[in-house]
This record gives sequence, C-alpha cells and structure tokens, in this order.
Amino acid sequence: MNALNSSTAPAGEYAGDEVSAIVLDPGYNTTRAGFAGEDVPKSVCPTFYGYIDSDSGPQYLFGENAIHNPQANLQIKNPWGADGIVEDWDTATKLWQYAITSRLTGPRERPPIRSSANEQNGSGNRDPDAMDVDVEVAVESTEKPLEDSPLLMTEPGWNPTKAREKAIEIAMEEWGTPAFYLQKTGVLAAFASGKASGIIIDVGASHTSVTPVLDGMVLKKGVQKSPLAGNFVSSQIRLLFKQAQPEIQITPHYLVKSKTAVDAGAPAQAVYRSFDPPPHSSFRHHEEDRVLTEFKESVVEVWPGPQRLSVGPNEEIAKSQPGRPFEMPDGWNQVFGIERFKAAEGLFDASAAQTDAEHPRPKDEHTIPKLVQAALASVDADQRPMLLANIVVTGGSTLLYKFNDRLLAELNAMYPSTRNKIIAPGSIVERKYAAWIGGSILASLGSFHQLWISKKEYEEHGVNIVEKRCR
Amino acid sequence: MATGRDVRDIFGLPAGSDATKTAVPKRAKPAAPAKPRIQGVAREVAALYGERPPPVAVYEEKKAYRPKRNTGPAKQWVEERFTNQARSDGLVLRHWRRKDEWEKLVAQQQDGDISMDTSSLEVQPIVSRSDFVKYNVEVDMPTFTDEEYDAHLRSDDWSREETDYLLSLVKDYAYRWPVIWDRYDFQPGGAQGPQEKGDSNALSTMPFAPTKARTVEDLKARFYDISARLMRLRIPEVQMDAEQYQLYETLQKYNPHSERNRKELAAALMNRSMDEVKEEEFLLTELQRINMAASRLDAERDELRARLETPIPNPGNAPGLQSFHTSAGLQQLFNQLVAQEKNKKKAAGPPAPGGRLNLSTTEAAGTPTTNGQAAQQLAANRRTSMAQPPPPTPVRQLSPQAEYRFNVSTHDRLTSGVSFGSDKLLKMRQAKSNVQTQKIAAALAELGISEIISIPTSRVAEVFEQLVSKVGKLLDVRKVREKEEGECRVLEAMKAQKEAKENGMPAVEGSGRGNAGSAAAVKREEVGETPRPEEMEVDGEGEEDADGEADEDEGRSKRGTSEAVSTSTRARKRSASVLSQASTKSTKRARK
Repeated sequence: MNALNSSTAPAGEYAGDEVSAIVLDPGYNTTRAGFAGEDVPKSVCPTFYGYIDSDSGPQYLFGENAIHNPQANLQIKNPWGADGIVEDWDTATKLWQYAITSRLTGPRERPPIRSSANEQNGSGNRDPDAMDVDVEVAVESTEKPLEDSPLLMTEPGWNPTKAREKAIEIAMEEWGTPAFYLQKTGVLAAFASGKASGIIIDVGASHTSVTPVLDGMVLKKGVQKSPLAGNFVSSQIRLLFKQAQPEIQITPHYLVKSKTAVDAGAPAQAVYRSFDPPPHSSFRHHEEDRVLTEFKESVVEVWPGPQRLSVGPNEEIAKSQPGRPFEMPDGWNQVFGIERFKAAEGLFDASAAQTDAEHPRPKDEHTIPKLVQAALASVDADQRPMLLANIVVTGGSTLLYKFNDRLLAELNAMYPSTRNKIIAPGSIVERKYAAWIGGSILASLGSFHQLWISKKEYEEHGVNIVEKRCR
Repeated sequence: MATGRDVRDIFGLPAGSDATKTAVPKRAKPAAPAKPRIQGVAREVAALYGERPPPVAVYEEKKAYRPKRNTGPAKQWVEERFTNQARSDGLVLRHWRRKDEWEKLVAQQQDGDISMDTSSLEVQPIVSRSDFVKYNVEVDMPTFTDEEYDAHLRSDDWSREETDYLLSLVKDYAYRWPVIWDRYDFQPGGAQGPQEKGDSNALSTMPFAPTKARTVEDLKARFYDISARLMRLRIPEVQMDAEQYQLYETLQKYNPHSERNRKELAAALMNRSMDEVKEEEFLLTELQRINMAASRLDAERDELRARLETPIPNPGNAPGLQSFHTSAGLQQLFNQLVAQEKNKKKAAGPPAPGGRLNLSTTEAAGTPTTNGQAAQQLAANRRTSMAQPPPPTPVRQLSPQAEYRFNVSTHDRLTSGVSFGSDKLLKMRQAKSNVQTQKIAAALAELGISEIISIPTSRVAEVFEQLVSKVGKLLDVRKVREKEEGECRVLEAMKAQKEAKENGMPAVEGSGRGNAGSAAAVKREEVGETPRPEEMEVDGEGEEDADGEADEDEGRSKRGTSEAVSTSTRARKRSASVLSQASTKSTKRARK
C-alpha cells in the first residue's frame, strides 16, 4: 500500500511523511475511519445504531452485525439530524469511537511507557531529568482511545460553528488526541481526484451537496445542499411500489424463513418467521431499506438524457428498452421497465418525482442541476469556467447507472459555451469514500504537519481555535 | 564405387590413414567455433567478420542478472519523535525513520552527546525536523504605521478597521481574491455600517447579487490603492526600477468599473443559450469559408497578373546579372569566357604567341579591379551575344539568306538522340491539365489547324509554339473574363435588389447581410463601370469557344450573397488589374 520502502527513499517532491494519523469521515449511512496514508478506510461501519431501552438501562449496539440482528424491542436510530448535521452528539461520539477502536487502535494495551510525551512538555524536552514524570502522566491517561494518533475529521460544507467546536471538544477532551484538524468533505473529495480546485457534487445518503473549491478552500457562499439523495430515491421506490397494481410488498430478509420459486408477478410463496416480542418498526424500516439498496444497485437506472424523461418521446423509448428483473427476499419477482427510470428522475426533474400526501413534490431548486447552477452563480465569474472543467462526482448514490451521463447532459444544456468535464473515479471504493481518501492523502503529507491544531494550542485558545485554523 | 582406399591404391599412396585423419578434424575445427550464433551483435555485423575469427573475442551477451541485494542484517528502523520547526507550539509527532539516519540526526542535534541509551524508548530524544519548513511560506504584505495611514491612506468609503480586516484576509488567504471575497464578512463595530450602503444599489445589478456591500473589485481596488500609495511613499517614482514601476503602474491603473464590466460580459458569455452558441459557431465557420475563398481569389489574380505582365522568361537568360554579383559567379563566368576565347582562337587560326598563357585565371581573379572591369566587359559581351548568337564553329559563314534557304539551324545545345519534329509539335499541344489540353485543341481546331501538321520543320515548330502560347494566354484571359462577368452579374442583381428596396418595394431578404451587400454594390458601381468595356473587348477573341463555359457562370452567380460581400471589398483592386490585363491584351492584338 505504502510504496515507501527502504530501497526507495523519498526523493524530490514526494511530500509524504506519515505520523500514523487517523482519518475519520462520518457520514449519514456509514462512518469511515482508517489510518492516513492507506488507500481504503480500514473501518467502515454503519452510522445506524441499535438501541434497546431495557430495564437495566439503555443499551447501544454498534456495527454491522449487531444492527441487523432482530432482537426484541430493537430500535434502529441514526445520530444525524435531518439537516445533515449531527444531532445526537453523545451517541455519535460513541459510534465514532467504536468505528476507530474496533478496527484501528483496538483496546489500549500498550505499555504506558510508550505513550505520548505531548502532555509532559510541549517544547521538545531534551532534559533526561524530566523523563520520569512521563510515566505517571501516561498511566493516568490510559483510558483515552486516541492518544497516539492525530485525528483528521471531515465535516459537511455547511457545518455550523457549534458543531465544529463540538467536534474538536470530543477529539481533544474525550479521545485525548494530540493533534486535530477538521476539513470539509468537498475539499477532500477534490484532493482524492488530484484536484485543488473544482466543483464537487456529492450525492450521499441523506443529502446532495455541491461545493465549489478553489485552491483547497471551500467557497462558502457557493455551498449548496438538498435532501434529494440516496434516501430520497429509496422513498421514491417505496412510492412506486405502493402505486403499483397490485401493490408490491417489501419483505426484508430477516422475516423470510424459506421461499420457493414463483413465476414473475405471481404472489410469493414463502414461510415467514415471526418474532415475539418483535423488533421496533424502525428495525423493519431499516431492513427494508437494505432491500431497496439492493434494488437501487441492480435495477434503478437514471435516464441518460440528453433531455428529461418526460420530454417528447423519451418515455416511449424508455418503455421499449429491456427491463430488469428483481426478486424480493420472499421470492416474489418481476421485470421492471420504465419504473426503474422513474425512481431516480426526481433527482434531476422535480416535476417527475413521485408524490403523495406525506411526500410533497420536491422543490425545483433542490434538483442537482439547479444546485450546480446556484453554486456557480455565487462564485466569481472568472472562476466558473475553471470550475466547470473540474466537476468531481462522489458519493455512493452517484453509482446509479448512467448517473454521470445524465449529469453531463444537464450541465451541457445549461452551460453550452464552456468545456464541462466530469471527473468520476471509476472504482466503487474511490467513488464512495472519496472524502476519506482525500483526508488520507492530506493527513499523510509532511507539509500538513504544521496545520494540525495541537493539544497545547487547544488548551490555550479553547474551542474557537477550530474556526481560526480550519478554514 | 571408388572409395578413398581405391584412389590411394591407384595413386600408389600408402594405405596408412593418418594423413586423412588429421585432415578431417582440421576442416571441422575452424567451422565449429563459428557455429554458435553471436547474439550480442547484429547478424550483418557478424557477417563482416568473414570466416576468420575476429581479432577480439566477442562474448555473447548473457542475461544481465541484477546483483542480489546486499543481504546483511535487516535495517533497523526507529519510531522517531520529532517536532516540526514550522510550528511554535512544539507538537511532538512520530514517524518511522531508518535508525542510522536517525542516530546521525540525534548526534547532530545533541551536540555529539550520544551517551544516552537511544534504544530505550522512555528516554528517546525528540529531534527537530525541518524537512517541510520550506512549504511554510508567508505572503508579502504592505505594512504601514498609524501616521502613514492618517496621512495617505484615508478613504471615505473604508474605515480603518475594515481596511485592517481586509489586509488580514488578504494575508490569510494569500491573495486568492475569490476566496477573500467569499469569506469577506466584516461586521463593523458600531457606527461604520451605514457608509457601505452607498453602492449597494449599483451592486444589485451584478450577476451574483451579493448580500454584502463589497465586491471583489471593491476589495481589489482598495488593496491596490493602498499598495500603490505605500509603494510611492517608500520609493519615489523616479527611483523605481523598471520592474517596480511596472508593478506600480498596474496597481495604479486598476479600474474596478471596467473590471466589473468585463466580468459582466464574461458572465453573459457563459450564460449564452445553446442556440446562440450554435449560431456563433456557424458564423465563425462561415467567416472562415469567406476568408478562404477571398484568399484563393487573390492568389489566382496574382498568378494571372504575373503571367500577363512579366516577359516570357528566356531559359538561357534566366540567371540574368544576378548570378554575377558574387565572386564565385564572376570566376565562373571568367573561366567560361576564357574557354570560349581559347576555342575561338583555336578555330580562327594560329595560337597567339605567349600572351595567352599569361592570362591565367588565377592572376586575373586575384585583382579585384580588373576582375570587376572584366565582369562588366563580359556582361556587355554577353548581352550582345544574346542578341546575335555567337558565330558557329563551321569555318564557312553563311549569310542569313543562305541559312534560310538551306534550312541551316544553329543550336546552343543539342539533345542526344533522334526525335521527330511532329513529336515536338504534339508535345506543345499538351497543357498541364487535361481540360486545358482539350481547350487548346478546340481553339486550334477552330483556327483550322489540323491535328497533324504535314511538314513539321523547325520553323513551323517555332511558329506553332508562338501560336500555342498565345492560345494559352487567351484561354486564361477568357477564364478571368468569365469570372468577372459572373461577379458583375451578382453585384448587378444586388444593386437591382437594393434599388427595388429603395423604391419602396418590400425587401425579400431583410437580413443584416443584405445591407452590407448593397453597400458593396454601390462601391462596385463607382469602379465597376470601367472594367466592363475592356471585358467586352476581350470577348472579341474568346467569343468563339466561350459558349461552352457560359453555364458555369450561372452556377457561380448562384453562390449566394456572402461571396458577393467578399468580392465587392476587392472591387477596386480588381478594376486596376483588369485595366492592366486589357492593356497587355491590346498590345498583343496589335502584334498579331
């Protein structure tokens, strides 16, 4: 992974200098963590967590295995709020800590003697007499999970000051990290693609964001976000299923004991499990979402353009294209034709979104092309062509089939006179974890050492140092 | 079958086989070492060695094995604790370094005190690293004192606080103006607020309608203004060197309004619709096409002018005096003349006594004055010799009449071999292009010249050559005439159209281009009248076979108005060229 071996000493402008920093990239759907300098996050754990309110006090369940286990009264929750900012900080802290310690640092078993010297004397103590103090300090701080590793955390472009201050507080006070830095996901995603400037379109689970970045700095006025993202597509699919004749039932895997093959469209013949007491309804909803994720991955397709699905004969053309089969966990299966185009059309065309009483029509300005337009409009006119030549696409939901084709078609229609270029990494891992990878690059740079906020600085200036330093 | 034994028997040789035994391996031996193919050298090179082995042994290049890496004990690494010199807070981080390298650094930084046990971690010294300090760069900022600010930098629009805020932002974001503008969020402490309202109205027209009062241009203008003032304060204008003055000028000349307009235009350019972009593309290609057609027409015209105006180049005369401007040329000429003289004298009579030998070429060439004179003389000689070819070598001089009578011809140079006069004539009929050949043939047929000329004497050939060259010229002229006529027709049509429009008729083609075309037509009117009579005159000669090409003109005239626009701009030029054509024409006719 790391090409720096003993025979190839770093030469010239190779600026890597790894200090075993940890990069934490929390998202709505998954939380990514790993060591800087690696190319994939080692620890990817779901941000959803299980919560059981038992008599003996609340019980939290983290990790992939725990949250898919149908236990009695198990609730599935998410610490993120609807506005794309962490709401439940206490749980989030636990969850992130789980993500870091479960795979990366592990329980602290190191001899106390090796632990950090940061606390003892910041200014590089070379006095051998002072060394004996070290042992005591180390012993009393063993509980903190991140004492050896600087921590680089990511944040969404619209993160308010309060949330940022909270983040540094957690890192410094609770985890005891010697150094900390907060960087925006947009910038890091651009770095992952090797760009210092560009406009980053990040379609995640809960939010779609468009971030103009110039020389590694976010242009804050241009940051746009909208709730039309992966979860929106899932809800669109739910609506499509509900409107279908007959209504399509989503049966999650955990309810199915055994199934037999049936013809397409025929009712399922399966033996179901029952649970007593059953898990919370949120558990079922979460498990259904897993099925829908599978559906999105294998069936849903974005109408590739160049025009909207509703324009002219496009719908007829879409109907004439071969459908894709999908089988539910209970054995029910069908070939999906135009429905698979309709599910994601709402991302680009608000009027084409499925609606009902609970799901009103999305706003026009929340569609992806409009977000890009708004972002560009609030950027200096000179920078716009440059930004359009560096459109970085990232986020798990951009893996929808033909997503990039459609996006480019929409952008070309809006800005016909510029050279619009989409940069989308081909590999799924790079697309999904671009922000983490960018963070991994950034935190392993030798020139980044001077940007860390050290514990000493934090103690001197307090939480608002994050506003001054992490711009 | 006769074996070796039998032969030996016949020759009476002893039956002993030792002689043959030695001979056979001898023959085999030299072949054996040559056998292995030498791989390092190319086959052709190997063949050059011949049968003998090369004097230097050629070794086959074996596979190059990389020597195994030095298999010593594994290199030791140390998790080094270090501080970054770019930091002031002494943050200690760790990274892995080779132990030997690390020990060196430790020894260096501990002033040679390596007494401590470096292997145990508890007392591991912290080293100071400066590997990446070079990236810790700060931007240059203008600085000023309070007095300077009061004296020179005050502004009605900018408070001191806001100016300081601006400068701090510029420093923080290292002159990245879009970022500075993006982050610019000055909260005036108290009463400074209202003064910013002044230009907010003007700003609302900006494409990116900011809620803030300051635009990038405002920020830049203020900062550049401060920089320029401070610069002048530090270095008086007269003392600035070129670079400084250039910078100073740029700073001073910054005009936020023009910059703002420029940005508006840039935004407008970007926000064009697809149709507009397509139209621009179309217009650009159209323009390119027109330009190409125009340049092609110019080239054709130039070629024709050159053909009609310059005298027929005489191949013998081709170098002209030009070639005698260099000393080498003169030398050559001199040699040539000396040789000619020699020949003449040899032919004329007994060699001149002695004197001729004195006229060695080196001697004459050595003196520049005589050389120059000689050259002049020789040039003069040469000119006369051109007019009347030098007397032929035969002893008997024939009078011109006699020459004519006996059909004696003189040649500067004879081609080897025998050729038919009729072949020569046939060659003259052929032009470069097939079409042209056909046209020449048609013209000759009209003139009643049969395809095969019965007695192709050299004199006939001469006359025929003249005729053919004239025909060629006339064909060229006709081509031009047709082109001109076509253009005239187009322009007249446009003129008529314009007149119709002026008379109150509704214009059929109300496009913007129509105006330009009509304006051009007017221009043509002024100059276009003159060429026409001449062109008609030309008709007289080309008429006979012009009919065939007449329909081509129709096609040309249909090429649309765009062509007319381009041609009309050259109307003036054309009339001049036509005049010159006409004059050459008339002289030619007179000759005929």
